[in-house]
Amino acid sequence: MTAFIIRRVVWTIPVICFVVLMTFLLMRQIEGNPFRRTERAVPPQVQANLERKFNLDKPAAVQYLLYLKGVFTLDFGPSLVLRDRTVNDIMREHFPVSIKLGLLAFFWALIIGLPAGIIAALKPNSIYDYVLMLFSNVGFALPSFLVATVLIYYAALKWDLVPTNGWPSGTWALDSRVLLPSIALGFVPMAYFARLVRGTMLETLQQDYVRTARAKGLRYRRIVGLHVLRNSLIPVVTASGPLLGYIITGSFVIEFIFSIPGIGRYHVQSVNNRDYSVVMGITVLLAIIIIIANLIVDILYGFLDPRTREARS
Amino acid sequence: MVVDRREEVLPVAPAHVHEAGDAAGAPIRQSSLWRDAKRRYMRNKAAVVAASIFFVVLAYCIIVPIVSPYDPDAVNFQDRFLPPSLEHPFGTDGFGRDLFTRVALGGRISIAIGFSATLAILIIGLTYGSISGFVGGWLDNGMMRFLDALYGLPYLPFAIIVTQFFHEVNFWVMVLALSIASWFTAARIVRGQIITLKQNDYVRAATAVGARWYRVLGRHLVPNTLGVLIIAIFLELPGVILGEAFLSFIGLGINPPDASWGSMAQEGRDVYRTHPNLILIPSLAIATLVLCANFIADGLRDALDPRTKET
Amino acid sequence: MYKYRRPISWPLSQFLTGQPRPFALIIAIAVVVSLTAGCRRDPAPAATTSGSTRIQRGGEIVVSLRAEPRSFNRFVARDTGTALFGQLTQSKLIRINQVTQDLEPWLAESWDVKGTTVTFHLRPDGRWTNGDPVTAADFEYSWKRTLDPALAADYAYQLYGIKGAAEYNGCTGGPAQCNKLRDKVAVKAVDDRTLRLELTSAQPWFIQQASHHSFLAVHKATVEKYGAKWTEPQNIVTDGPFMLESWEHESTITLVKNPNWRDADSVSLERVEGKIIVDGTTRVQSFEAGEIDALDGAGLPPEEIDRLKEEPYYEQYAALGNFYYGFNTKNLDLDTRKALSLAINRKVITDNITKAGQVPATGMTPKGMPGFDQINPNSPWLPVEGDVEQAKSMLPASAPKTIGLFYNDAPGNKEIAVAVQDMWKELGIETTIKSQEWAQFLEFLGPPPNKAVDVFRLGWVYDFVDAINGLELFTCDSGNNNTNWCNKDFDALVEQAKNETDTNARYELYAQMEDIMFGENGEVPITPIYWYTYPNLENDAVRDTFFISPLDQIDFTKVVVKGT
Repeated sequence: MTAFIIRRVVWTIPVICFVVLMTFLLMRQIEGNPFRRTERAVPPQVQANLERKFNLDKPAAVQYLLYLKGVFTLDFGPSLVLRDRTVNDIMREHFPVSIKLGLLAFFWALIIGLPAGIIAALKPNSIYDYVLMLFSNVGFALPSFLVATVLIYYAALKWDLVPTNGWPSGTWALDSRVLLPSIALGFVPMAYFARLVRGTMLETLQQDYVRTARAKGLRYRRIVGLHVLRNSLIPVVTASGPLLGYIITGSFVIEFIFSIPGIGRYHVQSVNNRDYSVVMGITVLLAIIIIIANLIVDILYGFLDPRTREARS
Repeated sequence: MVVDRREEVLPVAPAHVHEAGDAAGAPIRQSSLWRDAKRRYMRNKAAVVAASIFFVVLAYCIIVPIVSPYDPDAVNFQDRFLPPSLEHPFGTDGFGRDLFTRVALGGRISIAIGFSATLAILIIGLTYGSISGFVGGWLDNGMMRFLDALYGLPYLPFAIIVTQFFHEVNFWVMVLALSIASWFTAARIVRGQIITLKQNDYVRAATAVGARWYRVLGRHLVPNTLGVLIIAIFLELPGVILGEAFLSFIGLGINPPDASWGSMAQEGRDVYRTHPNLILIPSLAIATLVLCANFIADGLRDALDPRTKET
Repeated sequence: MYKYRRPISWPLSQFLTGQPRPFALIIAIAVVVSLTAGCRRDPAPAATTSGSTRIQRGGEIVVSLRAEPRSFNRFVARDTGTALFGQLTQSKLIRINQVTQDLEPWLAESWDVKGTTVTFHLRPDGRWTNGDPVTAADFEYSWKRTLDPALAADYAYQLYGIKGAAEYNGCTGGPAQCNKLRDKVAVKAVDDRTLRLELTSAQPWFIQQASHHSFLAVHKATVEKYGAKWTEPQNIVTDGPFMLESWEHESTITLVKNPNWRDADSVSLERVEGKIIVDGTTRVQSFEAGEIDALDGAGLPPEEIDRLKEEPYYEQYAALGNFYYGFNTKNLDLDTRKALSLAINRKVITDNITKAGQVPATGMTPKGMPGFDQINPNSPWLPVEGDVEQAKSMLPASAPKTIGLFYNDAPGNKEIAVAVQDMWKELGIETTIKSQEWAQFLEFLGPPPNKAVDVFRLGWVYDFVDAINGLELFTCDSGNNNTNWCNKDFDALVEQAKNETDTNARYELYAQMEDIMFGENGEVPITPIYWYTYPNLENDAVRDTFFISPLDQIDFTKVVVKGT
């Protein structure tokens, strides 16, 4: 097991280099002057000064190596567009916001999606099953901006339950403004979990060992709680990895609509602004997160599913 | 999924499957895989309904623009923002253009992009995965490691970068942007399938008999992955369609006067409080298509899954 | 989903009755927690937190900002957000009266202009928030710092009117060499209250320009102590009517009144809270939910304007700005350009698409600019309602059948492009419209513009109140001339105007420039469509005093919240 973990961790280094290289090449390929924000042309002297300041006048290979060095020393450089702030500052301030949003969305997905799927599996083909699966399928299919818009319209404007936008500041702060964005973002994972859990539970419920347990006379609740759930939740765990990745990286629309100062919105804005250092920094950060998420999932899977443990030893 | 190809090797009549309701003495109809599949598919009510809705939507998108009396591009400021009525079943948009026609046209583009991007994903995935799975060894290892690295690239910024690579966002740019970061899972699945199938006896038999690698690949392995691929098409389709809606929302959608459902929904968002039909109808169209694709995929999976094959 | 064969219904009731089990308990707790979390009160507004969602009475105002200010460091920042807050926190030498466009003394209580020498006399009572007096040396330091090539300030070029400035800013040598050039920049603090400059030429509008936000001063000691971080709330030292209280990036900025400001008694507002809301629809929603008092003139979604115009909280301000379509004069000949320009029905666009009282353009210089009546050519090629008949007759046989129209993807541009596309269809021309993202779009336009560009959309918001700011865009060498149009006579007139001190004579020159562009024999390198306005939403409490100037600036010292 340890060998496996070490191997994976070591493997992340070339992956990071690769991600930086791809981002670097692609960003250089698209046209656009990071220093020109308005129609006003930048006078050549000013442009030259700016390029010199940000090392953009050096050859491409040198720039790439400088960036790489920055990545591994965790110094991502200053932002080309927001001059007073470094990329580290930006990430430090905005990344926790996205994480909080993502975790809250994940929380809703678990709280609502899991029970829904479990109930649907326990009463297949009943009215519960159909209704819950209907909601699940529909939720999966609706575009997130529609969900967000409808939620704002009813909850914030018509019934005036919560503010229309904004986000509480501070790492642990929570107020009513987190409700709508996290629900809107958690909609798809909710639906996904419900379907997934229902499917795996049904499959597990068919297994012979469950029938044996029932025949043995074990109490129903014990069967479900002990055997069925634990085995059914394994795919949920494995699906959580990429799902968490989706939530954290795909939050742009929600952040935009709800004016949440998160990293998703920043990432897209930086691509548009041609803010090379910020794009690089955030891309690397997200790549690391996805890799770590996958790694954790693999490890958990190894613990949870005894079959893989045996296969490996 | 096992295709019974024994008749190629042994000159023995294959096992028959009786059609339900065969009269005694009537000639026994040989059933093929596809007929079995179709019959099983029909049993799944939801999938049947979904498929019908899908065809209805397709028909709507193809036929309505042809027969519609309205010019979908004509700007007509007197008729703007009309509510749904008999002349305009969906109402009109901000330029006075009939929404019923435009949604149909948008559907053409959305569905076309959806299928094209999905096909692109599958073709790339198929090529990559089958090479990797078939050759095996260090090439397989290397290609899979490379694939792992590719997983680290974030989807949205790369889609944006791709659209800005070109000077405009047209149909093929969209297809490229949508497929370029989504083919990894397809490659993985294909590779997994190929590796499993490679172990099968009939493949070993074929090689033992002397079939070349391209015959084995083309005649045996690929057709057996076909079923999985068809299912994969309908599983990828929702992601691609929603991705296109997403990119349109950011402003990277198709250029006017063409429109896709995503760009129409984005335009409609500004006036959603006074004219909700402009955002609701394209969004619901997207949702309908996605739902149908999901159910069809489920139905196909049941239909083609050998584990539930009855004798 | 795996398809089961024989459904067995597990009795749910069995599951729910009986002793509560850990699993059910956990779910129950989680549900209760989530519901009560939703009911938590909004935190009461404290001095250092943002997040109030209801309007505060008692001299406080909540405004929406269209974007995060790039910096409070006006050496480098160029966006309107920074300009807005920079003005609040720092004092300018001269202020422009927003209504009359007259120059008013501000930090400079008087000034003399003798040829190319300008002398400012500062007030004695300017103070920084840490108590230091504002001196001329601060200004000298600040302006020279703006020109420092190492700082690479975007707005350095605004100072190029000063002798020696351009050379210093373009210095590529080492510190020793550049410092020599710095000392040659003709800005001198003669004493604590006198600032003397030498200009490169007479530049009659220089005083006007000096009210631009790059001409503000910063506190030398603070900048030298904290470096790039001097703008953080805990470090910043300012000398304006408001002080920075807190700044949560991309979220909120809060300013409070500076009680030590020399004119503090005239300022009614105690607190200004700026919420950064980038999306237009969200802004409107937020306003109508009562969460903000006013928008910052950032623009409203075009389709909503119809509805909003009927509301009492809608306001509209004249602006000095121009929305135009430029031609690639290499691709389109004169008659084609004239025909295309004639075919556009500007009134339809302003009535049906932009709908915020914009004025159809009849020339380059917008209405409201001093001297407008003399300057405006009332161009025959820019008919308000379009003239399709004449356009058709004007269109030469050699005109292209398809032309490419490029625009950047901002709200409103697409609709206008679609409308114009339809108008040019009547001439038998197929227009392919292509939208591009902003940075790419700017690159694409060069100059020189990409070959594929036949027509492009651009706008121009004036930096200061003089027509030259817009007209000089179209000189042969201008970095903002994307039309491939070059006219030596035009350039000569621009040079002449730069040295002409008599106002009326200058206006005459401007009129001639406009004539070259749009007169009877005009060359029509661009076709202006309309002159901007700033539509805005302001609630009842602030509406009377909230005002957006034609240069897109808001003076919060004049805003009064009703009832305070």
